[in-house]
Amino acid sequence: MENFLQYLFDGLSIGSVYALMALGLVIVYRGTGHLNFAQGEMALFATYVVYQMGEWGIPIGFALIVGLAVGFAIGAATEVVLVRPIAKKSPFAVFIVTLGLFQLLNWLDGAIWGDQVLPNSGVGSKQSHFPTLFPSGDDDFVSIFGAAWRLKYLGVLVLVLVITALLFLVFNKTRFGLAMRAVASNPDSAQLVGIRTHTVLMVSWGMAAAIGALGGVVFAGINNTVNLGLMFTVFIYGSAAATLGGFDSPGGAVIAGLSIGVIENLAAGYAQEWVGQELKLGVAFVIIVVVLMVRPSGLFGTSKVERV
Amino acid sequence: MKSLVTIREDSVGHWVLRIVGAVALVVVLVWIPTKGGNGLITDVMEAFTLMSAAMALNLVLGYAGQISIGHSAFFGIGAYTTGICVSRWGFSPWVTFPLAFVIAFVVGVMVSFPASRIKGVYLALVTLALALVFPRLLTWRKLAWLTGGGRGLPQDDAEVSTTGFDIGRRAGQMRHFEIFGWDPFGDLRSIEAKTPFHYWIGALMVVVVYVVCRGIVKSRAGRALIAVRDNETAAAVMGVNLVATKAFIFGISAGLCALPGSFTAIRIGQVTPDLANLTLIGAITFLIVMVIGGAGSLSGPVIGAVLYIAIVSKTGSWADDDNIPGVLRPLFAWAKTPPGTGIFALALILLMFVAPRGIVGAWKQYSRRIVRVEPRPIGVPSTVDALAPSVGATPT
Repeated sequence: MENFLQYLFDGLSIGSVYALMALGLVIVYRGTGHLNFAQGEMALFATYVVYQMGEWGIPIGFALIVGLAVGFAIGAATEVVLVRPIAKKSPFAVFIVTLGLFQLLNWLDGAIWGDQVLPNSGVGSKQSHFPTLFPSGDDDFVSIFGAAWRLKYLGVLVLVLVITALLFLVFNKTRFGLAMRAVASNPDSAQLVGIRTHTVLMVSWGMAAAIGALGGVVFAGINNTVNLGLMFTVFIYGSAAATLGGFDSPGGAVIAGLSIGVIENLAAGYAQEWVGQELKLGVAFVIIVVVLMVRPSGLFGTSKVERV
Repeated sequence: MKSLVTIREDSVGHWVLRIVGAVALVVVLVWIPTKGGNGLITDVMEAFTLMSAAMALNLVLGYAGQISIGHSAFFGIGAYTTGICVSRWGFSPWVTFPLAFVIAFVVGVMVSFPASRIKGVYLALVTLALALVFPRLLTWRKLAWLTGGGRGLPQDDAEVSTTGFDIGRRAGQMRHFEIFGWDPFGDLRSIEAKTPFHYWIGALMVVVVYVVCRGIVKSRAGRALIAVRDNETAAAVMGVNLVATKAFIFGISAGLCALPGSFTAIRIGQVTPDLANLTLIGAITFLIVMVIGGAGSLSGPVIGAVLYIAIVSKTGSWADDDNIPGVLRPLFAWAKTPPGTGIFALALILLMFVAPRGIVGAWKQYSRRIVRVEPRPIGVPSTVDALAPSVGATPT
């Protein structure tokens, strides 16, 4: 029971990060119908920015806002400068461009901050660990039936639930949310009824990247460090979550993200011999393949009808 | 569009051009291992590796239009097949090339079955996950008895190859490579003999991969691939068996991609799970090399790989600011890592705007203004046929 609860808590918390990544992917997909391969690397850049702010002694609350703004700017700029002009040519070109951006951003992070794990006193970092939003001391945990839920883990889950609720309100209760849904449903008609589709798409990409950036910052907070490979696996888990939930369903993405977090932790915990920490990623791989084979639209997505 | 020079296909002039090109290529290929330094030979071998992998990827991506970011896994299968067979079981390294091809072929066919249901970027997602899971499998403790876990192969440091054509000591019997009593390299234990020997193995591998790719692309199977790429439904309606075509091309592509893996294992003399080309980074590198050179063209990957290695090895030491040539220093001095990958990523993005078909695509488009090869009208015998009319002349 203790073990089970422990796996469940850890799974829910780490799953929250996957949910954020998946949310970003879903928002982009609903907007322009692309899978943004650079999502994780956009988030990583913003995460490094937050680290740098910490180095300068800026409190994490303010640093986070700057990080989110940087994420938003990268996302919005990508849509305007790269995706919009190239999307007219072919979907393949968009894929290559996002992949190129993946490589470019990863290289840029390395070029600016170096390829070692940060913070690192060896290269003169002033911080002892990556700044976290929540209390992260050794005795900052709540005990539930003997299982410890560290406050910095619990905080992440709460944060994700709050963000999801906010997004739900934005999507369903605001004019802008209505415009976003209209553009997702039919861009041409949306434009005809006077919606500024360009602005909506730009903001969608920006929002997606900002949400991803939040995911990156809290994930680096959980790990205490940031490095160049930080987001590779998170991106795969996030896309597994988006696949499972359905690429056009934000609610599905969150539920699927949390479930994948729990499933992989249960698998790693109970099948230590076979899965363990090394093959956790295999869980995400299996989920992606099985869902795409059996139910390509995911659990909560709408299936796509193709016309010949 | 008027061009300066027009050459009739298969005319004498065209053949002279072809022969001059071939001779120039051979001269360069021979010059590198005989007169070039060890650094240059190593760079060229790395280019051989990349161009073979990119050519293999090109079959699946450039011709059949199936996106794969998972070819690093096939590369890894090749490297580990050679590593395991040679260092654990004492196989001859020659045998491991076809063996790696067969094993990767089978895995490739298996991957193709989900691929025939999963399309576009979703396939990219699946193969991306494959690229990330594969190195984890290599370090998995249940497989450590075979793969050697995180340490890789050979297990014993003392066995790491310093001698000739082998991985570890067990297969170190081969000391000389003789063709009919002619020993062109000498004692293979010395690095001066070993490097050119590996170079020629690499060159042979590139030729084999190129010939196989060319054979497929110019055949009925190749036309089926292009039909699948351009419009899957239309291809199926015209009688292309989609499942069989995809299984075939994934298998061949995976098998060919395993060859540079085997070659790398032999060249380096050991295999470890953090070999760059068998991780996600490798898969992305293959893709970038292929797209920059020209997706869907036979020579594209070759050009792309040469360019990639030229720039990456030129800028490899640029993390240290003193190594940057004066003019470029202000541009790159701020970077803590070499700018090679960044330059290529940027080039990739820009290329998608100006020349989506890569360097070769752009070359084909612009070179036509200067020299144009006019296709031979149907029914006219070519020069070759005219020289040997009895062999295969078209009856007219």
